[in-house]
Formats: sequence, structure tokens, C-alpha cells
Amino acid sequence: MSEHNALNLIAGYSQALAGKHELERSGSDFYEVRGEVGSMVVQLHPKRLSLEVAEIIEETPTTKTLRLVAADRSALPPFQAGQYINLFVEIDGVKTARPYAISSSPTQCFFYDLTVKRARGGFVSGHLLDRVEVGQRLQSSGPMGTFHHNPLFHGDDLVFLAGGSGSAPARSLLLDILDRELPRRFHLIYVNSHVDDVIFAEKFRALASRHSNFRLAELITRPPEGYSGRSGRLTRELLQQELGELDGKMFYICGPTPFNDSCVELLTALGVPRRRIRVEANGAPKAPDQQRGWPVGVALDDEVQITVRGRGSFRSKVGEPLLNALERHGYFAENACRSGECSLCRVKLVSGSVFNPQEAHLRKSDRDFNWIYSCVAFPLGDIEIQL
Amino acid sequence: MRHFDTVVIGAGNAGLTAATALQRGGSKTLLLERHNIPGGCATSFVRGDFEFEVALHQLSGLGTKDKPFVMRQLFDKLGVMDKVGFVQEHDLYRLVVPGELDVTLPASLSGIKSLLQGMFPAESEAIERFLLVCEKISMEGFMTLPKARRANSEELLKATCPYHVQYGFRSAREVLDEFFSDSKLKNVLATYWLYLGVPPRMLPFPDLAVMLYAYAVFKPWHIKGGSQAMSTALVESFLEAGGEVRFNCGVEKILTDSGQVCGVRLEGGEQVTCDAVVSNASPLITFNELLDQERPPLAIQQDFKSRRMGTSAFVIYLGLDCTPQELGVTAASSFIYETLDEEQIHDRMGTLQPPLGGMLTCYNYEEPGAAPAGKSQVMLVCLQYGDVWKSVAPKDYARTKYEFAEKLIGLIERVYPKVRQYIEEVEVATPLTMMRYLNAPGGAIYGFQQSAQDSALLRERLDGVPGLYMAGSWTSMGGFQPTYMAGESTARAVLKQLKVKEVEHV
Repeated sequence: MSEHNALNLIAGYSQALAGKHELERSGSDFYEVRGEVGSMVVQLHPKRLSLEVAEIIEETPTTKTLRLVAADRSALPPFQAGQYINLFVEIDGVKTARPYAISSSPTQCFFYDLTVKRARGGFVSGHLLDRVEVGQRLQSSGPMGTFHHNPLFHGDDLVFLAGGSGSAPARSLLLDILDRELPRRFHLIYVNSHVDDVIFAEKFRALASRHSNFRLAELITRPPEGYSGRSGRLTRELLQQELGELDGKMFYICGPTPFNDSCVELLTALGVPRRRIRVEANGAPKAPDQQRGWPVGVALDDEVQITVRGRGSFRSKVGEPLLNALERHGYFAENACRSGECSLCRVKLVSGSVFNPQEAHLRKSDRDFNWIYSCVAFPLGDIEIQL
Repeated sequence: MRHFDTVVIGAGNAGLTAATALQRGGSKTLLLERHNIPGGCATSFVRGDFEFEVALHQLSGLGTKDKPFVMRQLFDKLGVMDKVGFVQEHDLYRLVVPGELDVTLPASLSGIKSLLQGMFPAESEAIERFLLVCEKISMEGFMTLPKARRANSEELLKATCPYHVQYGFRSAREVLDEFFSDSKLKNVLATYWLYLGVPPRMLPFPDLAVMLYAYAVFKPWHIKGGSQAMSTALVESFLEAGGEVRFNCGVEKILTDSGQVCGVRLEGGEQVTCDAVVSNASPLITFNELLDQERPPLAIQQDFKSRRMGTSAFVIYLGLDCTPQELGVTAASSFIYETLDEEQIHDRMGTLQPPLGGMLTCYNYEEPGAAPAGKSQVMLVCLQYGDVWKSVAPKDYARTKYEFAEKLIGLIERVYPKVRQYIEEVEVATPLTMMRYLNAPGGAIYGFQQSAQDSALLRERLDGVPGLYMAGSWTSMGGFQPTYMAGESTARAVLKQLKVKEVEHV
């Protein structure tokens, strides 16, 4: 400050200036907190985790659990039961990723279990089941996702409707309750196609027999001849009979998309308000052309040209989600949920049009200014995007 | 290696207005953002059927069509006025202290005057004088004070800024005490302190005066589609002008050559060269971490020493399956105190004890488009310093977060008892969340603590490194209008400097 300062005329100015000098004498230049933001945030929300396969557990003929530890054997970031990590893989030169719900208990912090079931025609699940070995290194996102118990409004009376490998997050939710001896009831309605392919069957049954706050109801939709257990489709009657009073219950649904849709329909028919139903995201829709708003005359098999501004272009199909197509042609976009929710794969649509299915949880301004979530965007013709 | 005239680090409010003004002003500009979306605080996220506003409660400085004010001109200049819609709010706020006070200030000076004169007839004349002082202080601050400061002239100051001479660096507490004897009247008029996080004792009176006056005259506004719509519109305008933006792209280092900024190194190793860098990151991160010098220049170290960490915030985003009317909302913004003592409320902000003051904003009360039909988008906030969260172990983080959320909901329930029963979606943000998304030490949402000692009138620009410019809440006042304006004025300074360079080169 110059020696003559007119501001001295202002009431309180000289005291404020003196106060500032006082602070200067007793204060720090904050050099000691250098790096603190980064190191605090990374404990909870790392952009990438470096993991190693510590163990592979055979669950059923179609399913294995990969037990992943930190490559440096340190504690992993905490997660809320039901959350997922996005696993990055490189398969035959193609870099891609898939989100998997963590099936282990959040009460221990040294491993994440990912329970992987072979998907029909699955590009990544086949790779994880057939080619990944103990000792192999993998990259992932940090834990994320909103499909978890929220104590602010979910309550203590929980019902989980799981279809097939949808039981992975259910196991984590269950183990969380049992390990921490929480005063919560957990009712798992577990629907599978085949008796010989029920993931965690023995584990769940053993836990149900030991813990009065865990109730297990199993249902087989394609029973073998002479099967004596409960079989057939999930119906309103069956739910009524299993659940009794519905008030105050929180419902979690995780399974294949048709299963999820039918569960929501059944619960809604029983009078459960939508706010008491949580549905796990499930990837891009297989049949976007069945959704409302799909334009007449466009078929999933139609060929389109995708241009990445300033980088190149390639041919693709209408029915292939844009993110997958980009990855197959060597382009990378950050991503995590691959289901239209997290918005990390948001890219600018420069020209042309895409179909945004109901899975795309776009912001209003994304729609207004042509930003799309590439994981669930279907090009309806030739398009140009900016990465 | 790619070259740009200017690289802007961070697409927060000031980064966005800086980048847009630079590119439109002829500077070839690269805008870099660590996250996948522009905005910093000025963003939104989607859960279920709801798109949640993250930070903007009431946009100031816009004015009406008939009586426009600076933000309308600024947005127009940046090419976004026709890209964004605004919705006017009709109240400043409702202040409720259960059992003690429940008053709603309308968004008009005459309305405030007659309401308060009716409630506190004995102070009728003082109310009139006080509101006049608020107006004069505000007008001087906008019009004559900058000029008098530049001229460093006592005569000019006396002649054109008499109200600053009389009140300019006194605390809000002191001035309120001078005017009024009824303590509740003082509570009502000082309520905006809870937006800023600095209690009336420490709050410079002009900061309070200008908030009251400017919101009353130029009105509080929502943005259609939330503050994210403005952020995305600014990017659109920037792109239209030929700017280049990269998301998911952090900066590792600001590079200098003989002390002069010459480029940046990006996450992943790529380098670009440039003549100027505008940093929308906090100056603490910029100078202590990003700059490729061991220690920042002495003047900057000295400036830092006279600063104190500002407040962060604890926020609950609620999607409710009920209408604002069912919830009992009668004004978009409510402040709720447990006590009439603002100092006690402020003291709690440094702890995990139940908060004594908080606010509720209902976005679809005046803008139906802010929530699906029949539902409500509501935000609960209490300001909180980030320090207490640093000692929470990662494994205890989620539990601590929910426990504190219960306490804030408990406070809000005193006035809105139904807030819990209609929850359809909820997301909770702590000071660590602010740290994560803003890359801000302490999770500070307004930068350094905005006490009298923080005033720009006591400080010089942090310009110790040629070519490096700061823009954001840390070097101006916090909040939307100040940061939007700071970015644009920084861009003007950069353009002026680049032009000088150009002439030198010719």
C-alpha cells in the first residue's frame, strides 16, 4: 500500500488494516496443507484403483467370484453395500469396461468380491471367467452408485427381489446387516431359472437358518422334473403371501431388465409407492427400438457413419450403444455406470441425431445443448461427435 | 506442441466467464476442466425423476426487464442471454426462529419497509434511514467508490462516497446496534449473514447492505434448468466463438520460463504452450501445487498469511413426493434458527454438533419446472467449516455423514415437520464432497473467510507471476454474481495485456 492512502478516511479502515497485519503475523502461507485436498479425496473417491486378483471362487457352472485386493495390499476405499466398481479391461486390443456390484461385506476393507455370471454373447464376462487368473492386475473406478441402503429414509424393513446374479449386491447388503448386527430385517426373494445355477444358494440358506432377521424365499422358474421347491413365475399372490404388511418396507430390485420391470409392475399393483422401490441400473437397453419415441423406419441393423471431430470416423450399427462402438474403434471416453446414470461418458453431439432411451438420465441443459450420454446413446443416422 | 493465447484452468463460474470473454475477445483459448461437466458449484445432478440444483439459491444482480442490472448486460455480452431462461422470486426469505419469530421479507424495498414498520412501529424512522443507508452504500460501491479508490483522493471520497466514509469498514453488528434497539429486528435484517457464513460481528456492513438492497431492488432469480443451464450455455457460447474445451482433463503443472508463464502440462503428460493462464482453481492450489516454482513470490505468501480458511457447507438434496404446499412452503427460501444468537450459530459451524441455523430452498415453489408434477425439489443447507471432517476416518465417513444429516433434518423439521415422510430421492454432500468437486482446500465454497480483513480494498491483485491470472471466489467475494463478474473482468485484464504484447511484437 502506498504511504498516502485516501481510504484511511473510511470508518474502520485503519482497524481492518491493522487486523490484517495481525493475521499476517500469526498466519501461515498454507504451504503445510499442500496436497491435502488430493490425498483426502483419494481415500474416498479415487479416479482409478489398481487391483490384483487374489482368489477366484467357483460359484456355479456359469459364475465365479473374483476376489480383488489393492495391488499394494493397502486398505481399499470404503463402499456402501450395493455399490459397484467399474472394471477396466483390454480384450484383444479393445479397451472397455463393465460395472460390477460388489458382493462382499463393506465391513472389511481389504478386498472387493465381484461376482461375474456368464452373459449370453457377453464380451467382457467371458473374458473375466475364462482368461483372468489369480495374480492378474486390473484397473477400476472407485466404488460408486446410488443403489444402496440409505438410512435417512429406507427404514429397517428391507425386501430385496433378486433375479440371478442380481443377488450380488443383495449379499453385500445382507452381510452388512449381519456383520454389524444392525436392527434391520432383510427379506430376500430370490428368483432363478435353474436349480443348478443358484449363486450363493448354500451360503444364503445357512445364514437364513442362523439369523432370525434374514428371511430367504427361493423361486425356480424352470424347475426340473419332480422339483419339490417353489417354482413358476413371481406373482402378485406369491408376493402378498411372502410379504404381508407392505407399509414401511423398502424394496430393492436387481436382475435382468424384464425381471426388474415386472417386479416394479407387481409392487405397484400391490399399492407400493414408487418412492419405496429402488431399481438397480442395468446397462444400455437391448431393445431401444421398443421404447416410446423410437423413429419409424430406423432399424437396429442399419449402418451409420460415426465421425469423431478432428480424429477420424468409422462405420457402426444403429443398435450398438455409441460408447461401445467408440471403444471398439480405439476411442476412449471416461465412463463408470454404463447405464445412463453417472454421466461420466457425456459427449457433445455436433451433428446428426441419436436416440436417448429412458435409461438416459440427461440434464435439461444436456438436452437443450446436445450433450449425450454415450453409453446409452443410439445413433439414428450419420453423426459427428466431439470427444 | 499446440499453442493457445490463453489457457483457462477450471470451468467454474469465473473460469467459464473468463474463457467465454477471452475467446469472444479474440484470444485463442483452451478451457480445461477436471470433471466431466462444466460449472464447478454451478452444476446439477440427476437422481430418478429429479435434476438437483447443486449450489445456486438466488441469483442476484440481474434486475428486471424494465430495470436491468449488471448481470443482464454481462450475460448479453457473453452471448448467453438468449440461451437461458430466468424465473423471478417474489420474496427475499422467510426467517423462522420457532416460538420467537416468523417473518417473510418480500423482494421489494417498499414492501420490506412497510412490513417491518408495521412489526416494529417504535423503530419506524430508523428502518427508513437504515434502508436508505443500504441503498447509498450499494450505489457508492457500484459507481463512485472504485473511481475514488483509483484516484486515491480524499476529496473525491468525501464528495462521492460519504456513506462509505461513515460506515465502510464497520461491522454489520455495530451498525445494526447503532440503528435499532429491538434485537429481533436486527435478526431479521442480518439474516443473509447465513448465506455468507460470517456472523454479523465479523461481517463488513457493506456486504450485508448490498445483499439486502440488491436482492430487494434487482430481485432474486432462479435459472430454468438450474445453474447448470448457465454453465452449459457459457460453454456453448465459448464453442460457438471457436474455443476449445476438454473435460476429464486436470492440469498437473503451470509451466514458467524465466518466471513468465509459458504453458501447462496436462494430466497424462501432454503439454501445451500459451501466453497467459487464468486459474479458476484456488490460489492455494495454483501457487502452492500447480506452479512449477518451489515457492510462490513473497507477496503472495504474505497475502496467504493474512487469510483464514472460509466456510464449507453441508447440503442435503431432497426429491419429495409431495407439492410445496403439502410440505408447508410459503417462500422459496427459508432460514431456520434454533436461537436468536448468531454467534452461537456460527460457533456450531466448526463442529459436528447439531446445527443451530440452517436453510431450506424449495426450487419449484416459484418455478414449477424444477420438479416433476406433484413433487418437490428441496435443498437443506447448513454452512460448516471443513476442518472437523478431516479427522473422520474413511471407514466412518458414510455413518458420520448420515448422522449429521439427521441433525440437520431435525432442525428443518422444527418448521417443516413433514420433510421426512415424502422422501423419494436424497443425496448428501459434506465439506469433503465440496473438496472433491471444487478442488478447494477446506472444502471452502466461497474461498477465504470473508471478514473485513479479506476485503479487496485492503489487497492488491495476486500478480506476482507474469502471465498468471487468478479468477474466482478466493480473490473476490464468493457467490454467483461476484464470481461470474470476476472471470469477465480478469478476461479484460488478460486481453489488455495480450494486446500490449502483440504491439511489442509488431
